[in-house]
Amino acid sequence: MGDLFSNLGLGFATVFQFVQWAPPLLGGMSIPIPINILLCLIGALVGTLVGVLPGIGTIATVAMLLPITFGLPPVGALIMLAGIYYGAQYGGSTTSILVNIPGEAGSVVTALDGFQMAKQGRAGPALAIAAIGSFFAGCVSTVLIAVLGAPLTKLALAFGPAEYFSLMVLGLIFAVVLAKGSVLKAIAMIVFGLLLSMVGSDIETGASRMSFNIPELADGLGFATVAMGLFGFAEIIRNLDAGGEEDRQLVQQKVTGLMPTKKDMKDSAPAILRGTVLGSILGILPGGGAVIASFAAYTLEKKLSKHPERFGRGAIEGVAAPESANNAAAQTSFIPLLTLGIPPNAVMALMVGAMTIHGIVPGPQVMQKQPELVWGMIASMWIGNLMLLVINLPMVGIWVRLLRVPYRLMFPSIVVFCSIGIYSVNNAPMDVVLAGVFGLLGYWLIKHDFEPAPLLLGMVLGPLMEENLRRALLISRGDATVFFTRPLSATLMAISAFLLILAVLPALRKKRDEVFVESES
Amino acid sequence: MSDAPSHAPEKSILPSWVKGPQDFIGGLALVAIAAFALWASSDLQGMHGFSFGAGTAPRMFGILLLGLGAAVTVVGIFTEGATLSKFHWRGPLFVSLAILCFALSIRPMGMIFSAMASFLIAALGSTETLWKETFIVGACLTAGCALLFPYALGLPLQMWPTFLIR
Repeated sequence: MGDLFSNLGLGFATVFQFVQWAPPLLGGMSIPIPINILLCLIGALVGTLVGVLPGIGTIATVAMLLPITFGLPPVGALIMLAGIYYGAQYGGSTTSILVNIPGEAGSVVTALDGFQMAKQGRAGPALAIAAIGSFFAGCVSTVLIAVLGAPLTKLALAFGPAEYFSLMVLGLIFAVVLAKGSVLKAIAMIVFGLLLSMVGSDIETGASRMSFNIPELADGLGFATVAMGLFGFAEIIRNLDAGGEEDRQLVQQKVTGLMPTKKDMKDSAPAILRGTVLGSILGILPGGGAVIASFAAYTLEKKLSKHPERFGRGAIEGVAAPESANNAAAQTSFIPLLTLGIPPNAVMALMVGAMTIHGIVPGPQVMQKQPELVWGMIASMWIGNLMLLVINLPMVGIWVRLLRVPYRLMFPSIVVFCSIGIYSVNNAPMDVVLAGVFGLLGYWLIKHDFEPAPLLLGMVLGPLMEENLRRALLISRGDATVFFTRPLSATLMAISAFLLILAVLPALRKKRDEVFVESES
Repeated sequence: MSDAPSHAPEKSILPSWVKGPQDFIGGLALVAIAAFALWASSDLQGMHGFSFGAGTAPRMFGILLLGLGAAVTVVGIFTEGATLSKFHWRGPLFVSLAILCFALSIRPMGMIFSAMASFLIAALGSTETLWKETFIVGACLTAGCALLFPYALGLPLQMWPTFLIR
């Protein structure tokens, strides 16, 4: 317990760090500025700004904004990225409530009741409840991360290569089972990602693999490049197909009366609580993340409600529960990343990419060697949530105005911004071309109903999986049964197999589809 | 580069026994990618003793993808599925051209020129583009990026064409 407080103390000390800033204008005078809080604030603001733009999801937002954090010191960069992530999520809910275009899969369910509320002139309370629910969920999950962080790290240190490999298999299987759509296609995408991660030089032998003597490929495909192509460029191209303008039914009334009534609060309090619990649990599971959490929370509320017919017609619980679950899951999904070094979903995969660029290899070692980084990030999560509550509610008016920016002006801007961003990573024009190629690939994948998110996850996990597989087999002297004879590894493998069988069983598949169909009916 | 639309043959090209054209073509493409990867990594060293060579993992994943792609194809043949969705050429073409233009011109011409040029090319991708506002927004964005990246973010970028600096 004492550990917990000292750890959190360290975290907050990192966040509240002041840097003396002496601008030449002031003639030698220096002003102390809380640099990390400022970065968190900017991150949350910019994240919301981009996340609000319709049709741009959380992953795309984080991917696009990755380059602006490259120039910062590692702690600041990660704090800012975390801020961008929460901002993007909140921005996504704002769009789904006001325009009925969920910016990301996680806020699809929010749109169901949120947009109805907005049509009834209650956009204010809907936005406020979304923010309050998210804040509450954020507080709970921050504590949860702090509590679970240290013990899980100890567990992780007992892991050998065989266990790590099995854990990654489990994570990928979870990602498949909990994802929308065909299981087979999702697995195919993961393997495609694994294959792409093989491009470049082999870590152990230094041999160049599949790089065709192109110098830019010798180091492997840049992670930021692929992510921006698959999510940034591909989404732009796809949105152009849809015509951009047609289906924007922006709520025209002015957003008035921001504060929810007493009755609203009373109605949504239990929903927020249940959403938080459900979201926290689903977030820790690898592969879960925010999407499934919000769907599950909405379904649960509808099942528990005495008046399920109110759902879909502007029930405030239908906004409160998925939004809390969404945010709780978004935060607890940091747990596997920070303690085990395994990204549970595509956004966390992006965080790994960012860490790698700063020379940090996520995993249990980071917790021990750079505690200020990990705990600073955890503390910044709470601060970030507080900021979203404080800045976003008064700024709803600005976000609404942003929603009116026509797509014909938005998309060329995003193309240029992404191009500059990708170029600035390595100052390599080839990277920009590669991102374009991945943009077309992403467009093609979307057209054939393949999801790009598992591909990204596979790409990040590829090198880790190869390394651990190699080591495990080397230690066991080539005996592949090592994964099934070591008890911990065997358990993980058994769970994976069980899950996979469940996922392809028709009964469960129907149930799984039902949860997702909810949004379309 | 910009040949994405050509991946979409008309439905009539496919024989009638293919019930799910979307999965059928998708699966075939994955098989092709896997085969290409297997060919590209065929010169790498395989297992020696019980330690992995450089080519072991790529080959493993390649074969796995080959199998999965084939499975998706088979699913496409036997189960009723979505037809091919329509590919548009305008958006992908001009966005690709804009990206290509940026990549080719950033080194010799500097950021100001290449950002503005690719903005205008990308704008061709939509039929709704109004040129007057596009020019104004493009100029504002270029100016914004010229301030944001080198000054606010500290990423050194060359602003003006090389022949002007010299």
